Amino acid sequence: MSALDTRPTNCTAAAGLKVESLRFAYNGTPVLLDINLAIGEGEFVCLLGPSGCGKTTLLRLLAGLETPSSGHLSWKGRPITGPSLERGVVFQDYSLFPWMTLVNNITLALAKSHPGKDRKWRLNLAAEFLELVGLADAARKHLFELSGGMQQRGAIARTLAMGSPVLLMDEPFGALDPVNRGRLQNLVLDVWSDANPRKTVVFVTHDIEESLHLADRVVMLGSSPGRIIDELRVPFARPRVWRTLIRSPEFLSLRERIAERFREDTLQRIEAESVVGGDAEGI
Amino acid sequence: MKAVMAKSPIIPSVSFPTASRLPAKKASKPSGIRRNSWWRLQGKEGVLFLLGIVLLWQFASSSIHFSGDYLFPSPAVTLKALWGSLPELLKDTWSSLLVLLPGYALAAVAGIVWGLVVGTIPWVSRMFSPFARFASPVPPTIYVPYAIAMLPTFRTAAGFVVFVGAFWPIFLNTAAGAASLPQRHRDNARILGLKPREYLWRIVFPSSLPHIFSGMSVGLVFSFIMLTVAELFGASAGLGRFVQLYADYADYPRMVAGILYTGVVVMAAMELLEQIKRRSLFWMK
Repeated sequence: MSALDTRPTNCTAAAGLKVESLRFAYNGTPVLLDINLAIGEGEFVCLLGPSGCGKTTLLRLLAGLETPSSGHLSWKGRPITGPSLERGVVFQDYSLFPWMTLVNNITLALAKSHPGKDRKWRLNLAAEFLELVGLADAARKHLFELSGGMQQRGAIARTLAMGSPVLLMDEPFGALDPVNRGRLQNLVLDVWSDANPRKTVVFVTHDIEESLHLADRVVMLGSSPGRIIDELRVPFARPRVWRTLIRSPEFLSLRERIAERFREDTLQRIEAESVVGGDAEGI
Repeated sequence: MKAVMAKSPIIPSVSFPTASRLPAKKASKPSGIRRNSWWRLQGKEGVLFLLGIVLLWQFASSSIHFSGDYLFPSPAVTLKALWGSLPELLKDTWSSLLVLLPGYALAAVAGIVWGLVVGTIPWVSRMFSPFARFASPVPPTIYVPYAIAMLPTFRTAAGFVVFVGAFWPIFLNTAAGAASLPQRHRDNARILGLKPREYLWRIVFPSSLPHIFSGMSVGLVFSFIMLTVAELFGASAGLGRFVQLYADYADYPRMVAGILYTGVVVMAAMELLEQIKRRSLFWMK
């Protein structure tokens, strides 16, 4: 276990996404507390944490869909003040419009991301990316004709087609069956490693194994309020093969370590709360 | 679109899915009641009920005698009157539709556009909602005498009250639909950086369509009510005038025929709207 070097490297020289002393409260309730995070360009980072720890909120802040209560967010030194085509988002609930065909969903996005190009060019590019995710035959279909896995592949195709250098993914495979999930994980990894320059990916998940499969670095978030409790660099060489990965002792020990870290955090929190409770009783 | 075109002929125009889809076997389970003879009638309940009404009507009209039998004409007499006045009724329908359609279409366009804007932009909603809360519950029939007095021709007056009657339900439903736009569509549109007009037209409008259609069908009923009420007041042609005219002449078979005929026209219009709705909302599941 000690053989595994999981210390976060300090060389975030080309820091792409930067989060500095970020605080976010919703109706007075603190959701995120003092978040500091630097994500390098081309880095694949997983935000890992239990439900309700604010990881989705953090992603929405990075996307520019929410405004922080205090603190600072930036991409390549420029502050994030709202949504931008530079940061493509894949939502958990398959973010396509159900009243358009799959291909029209993509061409609508392309009309915004590549305003100079004509319709024919957009259609070609859309077809290319649908081919990439294995949906070439489904281009003219509407969402109700597609399975959940197909819809999510469509959403990924759209985001990829837009060519954003940053991909923000919010539990994109959370509702999929294991087979589809595995396929899409590989698809995302392929696209990420093939792109030149590499895309910066922030991937939200509550699945420890998924985070170890995908990420360069895992950032662990604890809940109430959400804060970063730990982070570790995933030391496995790429390309990672899932079947061999899950059998390796390093993988298992790392998985256990992460789970242990979350258990610790939960215990600490419960203890802290009961101390407060005890005090209150004494009053 | 294709998928629905292919599907819609199979779907009966008026259906009670839970009742009609029950498998016949279930009904024949031993339960003390003789259901074997009943299940054959499944799916025909509506027709049977209508038949019952007509029989009751026949029975009532032949056994109850009002002053001069023609105050309560039998089905046969009414049908004959209907047949006889069909040419006149068709002409009246045309005249009524010439008033109704422009008023209704204008109400639909105004109600949808304004509803989308009010439902989307908070400050417009804050501005308009107090007025809407006051003005929308006013029974539109109350405008009829004033509209007839104010506006130069009967047609503009009737068109106006049709517009008012249809506008509020369409507007209110559209605004509610736009305001309840799912968060994910809103986020999605923001991520894509859609301009306000694109956002309204390509996202908020299609997403609100279910609400818009329910507003439009309530609005359609209202516009027929407004139309016939206005015609009772002072039209020279039209369905409402037809009924009023023969009531004045005490020609009750024709009057009842006019009422039945108007019912059929409204039903046909509702059915047409229902078909448009079905085709437009094929993407919903």
